[in-house]
Amino acid sequence: MIAMWYSVLSLMLIVYVVLDGRNFGAGMLHWFVARTPGERRQVIAAVGPLWSWHEVWLVAFGGTLLAIFPRLMASAFAGYYLALMLILWCLILRGISIEVGGHINDRLWQAFWDLVFVIGNTLLAILFGAAAGNLFRGVPLDADGNFSMPFFTDFRARGYVGLLDWYTVSVAIFAAVILAAHGTTYLALKTEGPVHDRSAKYAQHLWWVVAALFCVISVETWVVRPDLLPRAIHNPFAWIGLSAIVVSSIALISGLTNRREMRAFAASNGLLAGLLLTGGAALFPVMLSSTLDPANSLTVYAAAASPSAMHYAVVWWPVGFVLAVSYFVFISRRYVGKVSVGRDNQGFY
Amino acid sequence: MNATLSDPSFWSRLQFGFTVTYHYLFPQLTMGLAWFLVFWKWRALRTGDEKYNEAARFWAKIFGLNFAVGVVTGIPMEFQFGTNWSGFTKYAGGVIGQTLAMEGMFAFFLESAFIGAFIWGEKRLGPRLHFVAALAVALGSWLSAYFIIVTNAFMQHPVGHQKNPDGSLSISSLSVYLLNPWAWVEFAHNQMAALVTGSFVVAAIGAFYCLRGLHPTQARMYLRAGTFAALIASLLVAFPTGDQQAKMVGNHQPVTLAAMEGRFVGGPRAGVALIGQPNVAARRLENPIEVPGALSFLAYGHFGSYVRGLEDFPRDKWPDNIELLYYSFHLMITLGTLFILLMAYANFQAWRGRIESSTWLLWVLMLALPFPYIANTLGWMTAELGRQPWLIYGLFATHDGYSRVVSNGDTIFTLIGFTGLYFVLGLLFLYLVGREIAHGPAPTVVTTRTDNASVVARREEVLA
Repeated sequence: MIAMWYSVLSLMLIVYVVLDGRNFGAGMLHWFVARTPGERRQVIAAVGPLWSWHEVWLVAFGGTLLAIFPRLMASAFAGYYLALMLILWCLILRGISIEVGGHINDRLWQAFWDLVFVIGNTLLAILFGAAAGNLFRGVPLDADGNFSMPFFTDFRARGYVGLLDWYTVSVAIFAAVILAAHGTTYLALKTEGPVHDRSAKYAQHLWWVVAALFCVISVETWVVRPDLLPRAIHNPFAWIGLSAIVVSSIALISGLTNRREMRAFAASNGLLAGLLLTGGAALFPVMLSSTLDPANSLTVYAAAASPSAMHYAVVWWPVGFVLAVSYFVFISRRYVGKVSVGRDNQGFY
Repeated sequence: MNATLSDPSFWSRLQFGFTVTYHYLFPQLTMGLAWFLVFWKWRALRTGDEKYNEAARFWAKIFGLNFAVGVVTGIPMEFQFGTNWSGFTKYAGGVIGQTLAMEGMFAFFLESAFIGAFIWGEKRLGPRLHFVAALAVALGSWLSAYFIIVTNAFMQHPVGHQKNPDGSLSISSLSVYLLNPWAWVEFAHNQMAALVTGSFVVAAIGAFYCLRGLHPTQARMYLRAGTFAALIASLLVAFPTGDQQAKMVGNHQPVTLAAMEGRFVGGPRAGVALIGQPNVAARRLENPIEVPGALSFLAYGHFGSYVRGLEDFPRDKWPDNIELLYYSFHLMITLGTLFILLMAYANFQAWRGRIESSTWLLWVLMLALPFPYIANTLGWMTAELGRQPWLIYGLFATHDGYSRVVSNGDTIFTLIGFTGLYFVLGLLFLYLVGREIAHGPAPTVVTTRTDNASVVARREEVLA
């Protein structure tokens, strides 16, 4: 039961990253793929219509985490206090920039909200990347399951660590690059005209950088956490994730070279999901590992709420999931097709 | 005072109180306004009269801006359970997590999927589906309120839980937890109060256009629909929902009722104070003017019922800010009463066909706009200050709930950050809503530069 809920929460997080990752990626390269004010509106129209639905995955993830693993939420959220607040403020500004940017037909107004959109998304990609790095490296958990840490200490990934060190910074950079590649792959699928051409070009270059960085990150992770690899090879989910990575990589290369945009984007989703799945499987059953003493690490069993909470949630969660997906299918079928620069066929954004 | 300033739970309370109070300025309008949109879309569907669609379109723009600020200020609420209240999360996450997760799964997905389609997809959806989208958004927002109020009701009157061996709580019955009687009463009271806000705002904008002599057909609709709904909702807020809520407090939190009324000494024939200030140091109500027996009757059904005073309870179980609690409660009641009187008169004038021509009434209706927001806020202050010193009533003290690892400085820093960010957000919101109101519901042709063709297209789409 506990392992199943760990999988469900991983799934929710994967869906969130895959969906909102487009937004982060498009936001990071907004100024580069879109040059004129009209093109910049086009990018927002491509990522905009369902941004809040995407963000609900993060909110629903938070709620489910609280219901199933309250001790993890208590320990991690308090420990990452300032970093999480920074994420919150970026989420607020990013959401507002999408909503109000198009409200006033004025170049300066729109340029300002484009700036907020770019900064918010870039910081979010980097911060979520650093957070992922922290999950892999571990945090200075004490015997009571608490920690608090500075932004950085001596940049070594051992002992009393900070939020940033050489390892978490490299994961943050990797996250930023892969999300940028994901975002441009999405824009190539979803737009036409110059934005499409530039996005397609960026996507091709960026995915090669992703491939190079992936090798670096794999080695780095092995150095920082040598215990993860043996754990991963005994977990079938890691093998599923790995197969997803391999299949997606092939599909991605084929999609990019043959200009099959749908295939490339599907592969991009699969690749992100596969990476996260492999990572999640390798970490299991430790949710938050301690850099001070492995005995302090917080496992899924220690973090879990009582069985009754899980039993009840097993009943309602699938219902909510099916409903959520059906709304999405219903609505997104109305936003099928490419966004052009001349006519904003995505409604307001 | 120094003890307060160095108390971490004080700063986390202040931050949560500030962020949740600010956040709730937006959903209360969303939840009230949503049913106006449903109503106008339904009328448009039934009658085919374009004026209803025009009204829905205009209010959808205000709704959209309001919704956006509500969404972005809502995310910090859930995060703060972990960041600032990790003690509480550890203790009660196994119970309250259920509703917080259900809110995301059942309410937020519904709302967020349909909101964009409702606001900008009128042509894309067609009239029937557009009505369905309005209904989905309204249901989503009310469902979300129910889950949050169940969570709050658990903190006010915990049910459906059991103790784990390690001392934390776990859920023992989901149905008992979800059907908490306190939650039903609180939900009904709160939703009627949200309708008060929504209808007062609709009436106020109608009054503004009337005074300005703008958009006469629309102004008349807003005034009529707004004042009518406002009267019904104001009556329902007081009776039966407010009355039931007070009885709930009297039965389950008698010390809170004593503090709300500033009653230090218990006794039969307890009065309701119309005027008076609690003097906690001297343990008395200054210059009280009371209706004798009214409190006994309202709380327990008989004029002679014994109502306990604060001195019947140990000092450390008293709410920790009795003055603020007393003022919040009394001002809420005063405003609620004035709302009923104002809207009764406005409906009388509307019935006589004179509402559009009574200038001073239109002025009052227009200037009444902020007061439902104040009354809603005061109501929540009463609920939350009244619950103190407990985080979960009778089970878990507030000073056990905050995050031990987060320093005061960190919380003050983020509190200042939220204050600044929300100030800017507020200015932005008022500016954009003000623009929409100035622009008004009338169709307008926008001429723009070529690179903003998209905006022209958007207007065309809306107008088409």
